[in-house]
Amino acid sequence: MKTQFSRRSSLLRLGGAIAGLLTISAVRTAKAVVQKVFVSTSAPKGYDPTKHKWLMCIDDNKCIGCGLCVEACKRENGVPEGPYFRTWIERYIIPKPKPGSDRTRGEALVDSPNGGMHGFPEPPLPKDQIEHAFFVPKLCNLCENPPCVQVCPVGATFRAPDGAVLIDPKYCIGCGFCIQACPYGSRFLNPVTKTAEKCTLCYHRITRGLKPACVEICPAEARIFGDLNNLHADDPLQKFYEKNRVQVLKPYLGTEPRVLYAGLDKEVR
Amino acid sequence: MITEVTNIVVEVLPQFEGYVFPNEAIAQPLWSTLIVVYPYITGLVAGAFIMASLVRVFNVKALEPVYRLSMLTALAFLLCATLPLLCHLGHPERCYEIMMTPHMTSPMAIFGFVYAWYLMAVLLLELWFDFRQDFVKWSKVTSGFRGIIYRALTLGVTDVSEQSVRLDMKMEWILSIVGIPSAFLLHGYVGFIFGSIKANPWWGNVLMPIMFILSAIVSGIALCVFNYIVLTWIRRKTVDMRCLDTMAMFLFYALVVDAVIEGLDVFHRGYAAEEGFAVLQTMIREKLFYTLNIGQVGIGTLLPLLMLGSLQLLRRRVPEAIRRTMIFCSGAMILLGVLAMRWNVVMGGQFFSKSLRGVMSYKMEFAGQEGWLISAVILCLPFIILTVLVKLFLSEQLQPSEHEPQNKSTT
Amino acid sequence: MHPFKLPPQILRLVLLTLAIVGSYLVARAFLTPPSFGQYGWYRGDALGLIASRPPVFAGKQACDECHSDILKKLAQDAHKTLSCEACHGVSRQHGDNPDIPPDKATGSHCIRCHEANPARPAWFKQIVVKDHYSGKCTECHMPHQPTQTP
Repeated sequence: MKTQFSRRSSLLRLGGAIAGLLTISAVRTAKAVVQKVFVSTSAPKGYDPTKHKWLMCIDDNKCIGCGLCVEACKRENGVPEGPYFRTWIERYIIPKPKPGSDRTRGEALVDSPNGGMHGFPEPPLPKDQIEHAFFVPKLCNLCENPPCVQVCPVGATFRAPDGAVLIDPKYCIGCGFCIQACPYGSRFLNPVTKTAEKCTLCYHRITRGLKPACVEICPAEARIFGDLNNLHADDPLQKFYEKNRVQVLKPYLGTEPRVLYAGLDKEVR
Repeated sequence: MITEVTNIVVEVLPQFEGYVFPNEAIAQPLWSTLIVVYPYITGLVAGAFIMASLVRVFNVKALEPVYRLSMLTALAFLLCATLPLLCHLGHPERCYEIMMTPHMTSPMAIFGFVYAWYLMAVLLLELWFDFRQDFVKWSKVTSGFRGIIYRALTLGVTDVSEQSVRLDMKMEWILSIVGIPSAFLLHGYVGFIFGSIKANPWWGNVLMPIMFILSAIVSGIALCVFNYIVLTWIRRKTVDMRCLDTMAMFLFYALVVDAVIEGLDVFHRGYAAEEGFAVLQTMIREKLFYTLNIGQVGIGTLLPLLMLGSLQLLRRRVPEAIRRTMIFCSGAMILLGVLAMRWNVVMGGQFFSKSLRGVMSYKMEFAGQEGWLISAVILCLPFIILTVLVKLFLSEQLQPSEHEPQNKSTT
Repeated sequence: MHPFKLPPQILRLVLLTLAIVGSYLVARAFLTPPSFGQYGWYRGDALGLIASRPPVFAGKQACDECHSDILKKLAQDAHKTLSCEACHGVSRQHGDNPDIPPDKATGSHCIRCHEANPARPAWFKQIVVKDHYSGKCTECHMPHQPTQTP
């Protein structure tokens, strides 16, 4: 009696499993068909991610804070209006120390109104009280050890073989963990798609042989972008590399960024 | 420093002081009340289970009357533990990916497995072995829907011979022993979700998992005290004072250890005063003043310490009714205080910019996906589930079978 | 008594465990995307998906196809580093069909870069507009050859 009951229940269980299996496979096939129809994956032919090694350099002595890169980035990538930026410009104003103060310099004033997209207002200090002032373009730091990739629970954000840290918009569950884990504030939750988003190095451009939009539009050549695996003779990247000693943001976190800065100040983080 | 910087930014973004990264200048926090409720509920699970393990593993006989209640409390809260996470996702329909392609370096992905292990392999199993004998008994004396439930829960095993019951007891004991590290793992892992974020100086801290476990134990015992007193009050029964005093004693000791570790954390932060200490100070003084100093420290730690501590010293001289009230109040205050602690951790990490140059304020919405309302509902849900569980499994009409003495089964 | 007989409750649990683990493995086999793991712990298809977005800015090279004369002039003077689309606006559609003019609304003006700001580097030419001249910049400066006057 007892064995019969258990056999019947196992049979039922097996039947249920098979039924579930069939439904899942049917749904999956349907999903694949739908994806094929609606998602055009016209990836540029002949792009092999294992054959490239992208690198972004910032010559901070050159940035003029015009904000063209921020605007271009928003437009190129369809970034929503509001506090959502794949790249932005910060302005640092370091005042002279107050008279009688034993400090070597004043407390830095930093701002980035609307990401610097429409330029910057008059500085809040008269010029004679300013010790240093400069702009710093910021973007995803393309870490070699990206903390955002480390914490993604599903493998929706990843570091591609060419060094680009990317987000799979069809796989991201929108938990926000990567945004919390990014030390540079480079990520945001897109309010429209409800997925995490950030600089992709304009992956759709660089895979077609174009420069990223910010690099293309920068009038001061403050952003230097290139492929370490395919350097040509007078590559700006090569020249920048030879000429400058570079540093990265928040090096103590061990993220090993692949966005290299020349001419940074200690206040920048 | 902060006020000076305000002058620049104030026109653009009034809710921020100092400089925050443009992407951080959002109106609502990324992780809101739902993520506050999530570690709170998980902590209650772990705490209630560890409290129950005192009976089975450490053989604290005085706590026998609350064993089943604590286990059912743990179950009710565990069933709701993933709800806040699920509700908070941008794409809840993709949540299955966490189990299908779990990224092994992500604390959040591993949490799915820790959760499943704890629910299926520890809590449900231990409860099943504990109740199995009763299911068989009750399924014979009840009919209708209840009878069907009991019969289904026997899983078709009707063997209640002395030998098989002894096996149940042994399994229960083994599961309790496996369960304690599992409970630590469950909640330690929640602490690790925050403690592993090196980008955030408020979270990235090796003490975080330990603080989470300790506060979980404290809150779990407090919840058992709370539930026990409420249940006896509803059923108009008398409270077993020996049991309640023992719970109060364990609650006091757990609270002392918890307070010491949290104090150590504060001391270490203040002494090391690393980069960004200034902004953390501003945050504690302004943004977290009420929830930290008054909620977590005052109501959640000092007052209960005082009340429970004095009860330890003067237990004999305090009349039972007053003792009961004092223990109940301490329990309720600790529950509030630990909720405040979760708030301080989760929101505190988002009240300052990762540029370490400014602090944010948010408008917490009431309705909506991340609003108060859903969090409040999720916080009430375990109590509703617990009511059902208590009606089914701690029914006054259905008496449990006599358990054999523990030492017999372990020898 | 049989020495290897599993007690009934353990047997039931073993079966249940096998059923749960089995259904998990089956679900996993079916719900994992096919390209997952091609390069790493992610969908290999994601690369193509992200790269499939059509570019918005045409790039200087595209302008060079028709306007090489202007680009040659540009390359001889201080504005050689400028991209056409920085001032003239997004021109991808213009490149595909010359009848559609570049998107002027996204172009910019001289003072966006040349208005004086203490944070701008000292080597960069800056003016305080209100002290400089009230007329049009192009009255005195040629945008493609800024060092020359018209």
